[in-house]
Amino acid sequence: MTLSPQSLLGWTHEAQLSVLARADSARLKAFADPLIAGLPDISVIENRTGLVMLPMRDTAQGTHFHLGEVLMSEARIRAGGQEGYAMRRGRDLEAAMAMAVVDLAVALGHAQDACRTFLEAEAKAQSDADTETLRRVEATRVDMETF
Amino acid sequence: MAYVATRGGERAIEQSQRLFKAEMGTITQDRVAEIRTAMPYLIDRVMGEASLYDEDLAALALAQTGGELYEAVLLLRAWRTTQPRIAVAETVTQEGLFTHRRISAAFKDIPGGQVLGPTLDYAHRILATEVLDGQAHKPEPVEQATRPSPARQPSVAAWQAENGLLNGSTPDTLTGNDIPDVTREPLLFPAKRAHTLQSLARAETGGVLALGYAAQRGYGQAHPTVNELRLAEADVIVTHPRGTQFSAGRVKVSQAEVVSKKGEQLELGFSATLGWNEVKVIAAATLDLNSKGAPKGAATEEEFFLYHTEGVESSGFCIHFKLPHYVTFQSSLDAMRDAKAKKTASEKSPEPAE
Repeated sequence: MTLSPQSLLGWTHEAQLSVLARADSARLKAFADPLIAGLPDISVIENRTGLVMLPMRDTAQGTHFHLGEVLMSEARIRAGGQEGYAMRRGRDLEAAMAMAVVDLAVALGHAQDACRTFLEAEAKAQSDADTETLRRVEATRVDMETF
Repeated sequence: MAYVATRGGERAIEQSQRLFKAEMGTITQDRVAEIRTAMPYLIDRVMGEASLYDEDLAALALAQTGGELYEAVLLLRAWRTTQPRIAVAETVTQEGLFTHRRISAAFKDIPGGQVLGPTLDYAHRILATEVLDGQAHKPEPVEQATRPSPARQPSVAAWQAENGLLNGSTPDTLTGNDIPDVTREPLLFPAKRAHTLQSLARAETGGVLALGYAAQRGYGQAHPTVNELRLAEADVIVTHPRGTQFSAGRVKVSQAEVVSKKGEQLELGFSATLGWNEVKVIAAATLDLNSKGAPKGAATEEEFFLYHTEGVESSGFCIHFKLPHYVTFQSSLDAMRDAKAKKTASEKSPEPAE
């Protein structure tokens, strides 16, 4: 019998995955590694690099076209009747595997508090970095006057 | 064109490659990291032309080729063929871009306002020669604003369409693998718009600039004004096996619209590319604006500019002329000698008068 995957209180699956995909690689690996011991035996279905084509919408005529391909690392694992999945930019297969482990742990309801704490810390770091970038951008706001 | 197989020169070829590589010395992870950090705009240009986004690979390609851009792009295009395509992401929209720079030369008060972002547009171009004397050149820190700029900005084109200045664009229903792809289909003419825009996105910057500049100087039908230029980051939205869509990370993109008056309305040209490369997208958008109705053989004619701005093909064709052409050239010489001999013979024995 396959059980529905568990969810993390206060977190959508989308937000969880998006934060993990941008999480600091070293911190993600350090967090995921000890989680493995508490999980059932893991089968690795996929752990590879590959390309994701990125389309864009043209604002002149509305046409969808391909901008180019982005290198990604992907991991797909299975344990306890649930799957963990990851896709991250770049060629860091270990980081992709770490993300999949966290996704799997959440789906199995394992170490929920630790996962939530990790995600909250990473989300804050990402949000702070974005805010700082945008404050620097705001410093370049220009009010044009014509003469 | 005739070719002939040649043998020999293996040692010379091996040594010539060693000689090329000797100039760069040992390539290390540190060198690649330094190139990536120190030259983001060069990395962006290479990624855009290679049509492959990964800063580490682009930096490695530059390190390995000593900055020979055509070779670096070719290396990346070749490496790309070793990788499977895992997915096609959700379509990026202008309104969804995490925006770092957004300007308009057409309207000063665009909805959302203008942010210059990172640019040298208004800089004095002074070479920091003190660095060569041992003095470090440390940039002044940005004085951050107290509040952040909005990450997402509205579309100028949509605002113009609402005000009757532009015909609104028709939503495209093609998504994912249904979007035409020049890496999997031949480029035929008249080209599908998706092929045109994809080809321009991966085109060689210098080639696009040369032809776009020709159009801007008067060899095109329409004079461009930058309607909206953006340097931004786009989320790469992919799908989890359970169906959840999420961002697998962000990539830098550039996007330009150029505008020209056509009758009682405005007409737009558009271009975008991976990485931040605004010269390329402004020039490419100029070509897009001018392509409709361009005469055969003009710089602004679609077939002309798409065939001649594909960097790997054009540089490859150019450099193939230095490879052995002994048969064709000897054939030309034979024809030349034959013509000369016939001319000499006819001069020695003129036709008898009737």
